[in-house]
Amino acid sequence: MNLSRIFKITLATLAAVVFATMVQGETAMRMNELVPRAMHGWTIQGTDETYNRKTIFDYIDGAGEVYLAYGFQDLLVRNFANLDEPDQPEITVELFDMGSSEDAFGIFSHSREGDEGEIGQGSQYQAGLLYFWKGRFFTCVLTKRETPSAKQAVMALGKAIANAITESGSKPQLLNYLPEDGLIHQSIRYFHTHPMLNYHYFVATENILRLDASTSAVLARYQHPEGKSYLLLIDYPTPAQAKNAYDSFLAAYMPDATKMGTAQTENGKWTSARVQVGKPKLIAVVFDAATRARAEALLGAVNKKLEVTHP
Amino acid sequence: MTDYEKGITRRDFLRGTTCTFLAAALGLRVDAQEVVKEAVKPAVKKTKVVLIRNPEVLDANHRVNASVIQKMFDDAVTTLLGKSDPVEAWKQLVKPNDVVGIKTNVWAPLRTPKELEQAIKQRAMDAGVPQEKIGIDDRGVLRNQIFLNATALINARPLRTHHWSGVGGCIKNYIMFVPSPPQYHPNSCENLAAIWKLPIVKGKTRLNILVILRPLFHGIGPHHFNPTYQWDYKGLLVGTDPVALDAVGVRILQAKRRAYFGEERPLKPPVTYVAAADTKHHLGTSDMQRMELIKLGWTEDILI
Repeated sequence: MNLSRIFKITLATLAAVVFATMVQGETAMRMNELVPRAMHGWTIQGTDETYNRKTIFDYIDGAGEVYLAYGFQDLLVRNFANLDEPDQPEITVELFDMGSSEDAFGIFSHSREGDEGEIGQGSQYQAGLLYFWKGRFFTCVLTKRETPSAKQAVMALGKAIANAITESGSKPQLLNYLPEDGLIHQSIRYFHTHPMLNYHYFVATENILRLDASTSAVLARYQHPEGKSYLLLIDYPTPAQAKNAYDSFLAAYMPDATKMGTAQTENGKWTSARVQVGKPKLIAVVFDAATRARAEALLGAVNKKLEVTHP
Repeated sequence: MTDYEKGITRRDFLRGTTCTFLAAALGLRVDAQEVVKEAVKPAVKKTKVVLIRNPEVLDANHRVNASVIQKMFDDAVTTLLGKSDPVEAWKQLVKPNDVVGIKTNVWAPLRTPKELEQAIKQRAMDAGVPQEKIGIDDRGVLRNQIFLNATALINARPLRTHHWSGVGGCIKNYIMFVPSPPQYHPNSCENLAAIWKLPIVKGKTRLNILVILRPLFHGIGPHHFNPTYQWDYKGLLVGTDPVALDAVGVRILQAKRRAYFGEERPLKPPVTYVAAADTKHHLGTSDMQRMELIKLGWTEDILI
């Protein structure tokens, strides 16, 4: 390799590093502007902290991996204290750029437990912790000790950040294929990977549904008069991947399935699976249906939704 | 598809063909016949686990009373080892020529109490180990000469729910002995017990202490922590088998969740590593039938 070529490569590498630093700096600056510097007597304390995909574990212990399972890009952390009332607890704002509105919704859906509030495009408040999603951002505002004043400040900070985020984003397209009848909306979970599926509903230790960062999945619970069931939809990049995953699932999970892809499991309930290799390329699985008819009806309802969306 | 490729599925648990502990952790039905089978297993030497509780160990602001925790710890160790004097008991655990690493846990919201660290260190010194041969560390163990040269380890950490493994207990506390913890994260950290076979720790652990003074039974938010979901249990679990201690700890957390939420709330993600530590890695037992659980002290709301 001659000196000129080495020089060009070095220059190109330096330019790439400078560009990446500038982009990161710009993102951090923009995120910085989305968070107020003071609210209801609480003022900014110390300097902001920023983290990215490589440094997230410096801030969040092992749970940082959950964010990496989505398209997490950057995190801004800002701390607040009430200097006039030192007995009041500190408040921390964590603003996550999740890369897309779908993944901002996804990480929100991962955590939520109850009814939604009205901040951003979906929010929840629980024991001093407010979290919401809007556009491609997921935001947490938290105080470790809930007082009436601190709660008021937490909510006001959340509203201010949500207002500052001008973009709004769409939920994942996959949610449109969930039948409405019996759907428990708060139970909807959106994710990509096998550990996330097992986190919400254990299926198997091995990745028999061939989930990875390129797949999108939604899991939801249904309540019908005869009992609860789960519906899992997974969208694959190609028809071949969808077919391969379906075959893998049938072989590992329900080798006793009928031609319709239905089997009664050992708890007396029913599991049924279908693959569609058109548009989209997806697998639909119903787990724990009380009756065979309910399992197959739920899959039929998915088909109807698909026909409406992709005539 | 081979069994290896298939792994263990939900249906394997429903059939009762695999560990009942894990099935229960998943919130699945534990087959009645399986329970009977467990109950009639031939008599074997049981693993001793000591649970000690004292209402005075924490004050109203959850601060640890150093003398009370020292007494609890001493009572637990003497009961475990069948000695009347704590120093005599400790002479069974460590020798004056040992290099002793006290593996603690410094997770900011819920760390191993410093008072307990000092109680352990004091007893190791009482047994004849020089102070300079005793180290206390967590995240720096791979750079700490005491731990790199340790001949004896004492493992002490708080019990809590954990975002990636379901529960953080004694077995998981050794994850800092590996350079790349994420490599043990698959399947809810199923293979954590494999760490205990690495040369840096293998065969060195003399005592495990699972701190359940103020455990976390439910996690929310990015840090999986909110004090709303802690409660004053005011206990210590002490034993030589980390699997047994974790198995008891999981049951206490499950019982608390049941009581708090008023319904069965399986731990998320399911706790796979405790059962795997028993049935796959043979580190200890997760089977209550093979344990002798000795309860000392305060019994109100004991949950097990």
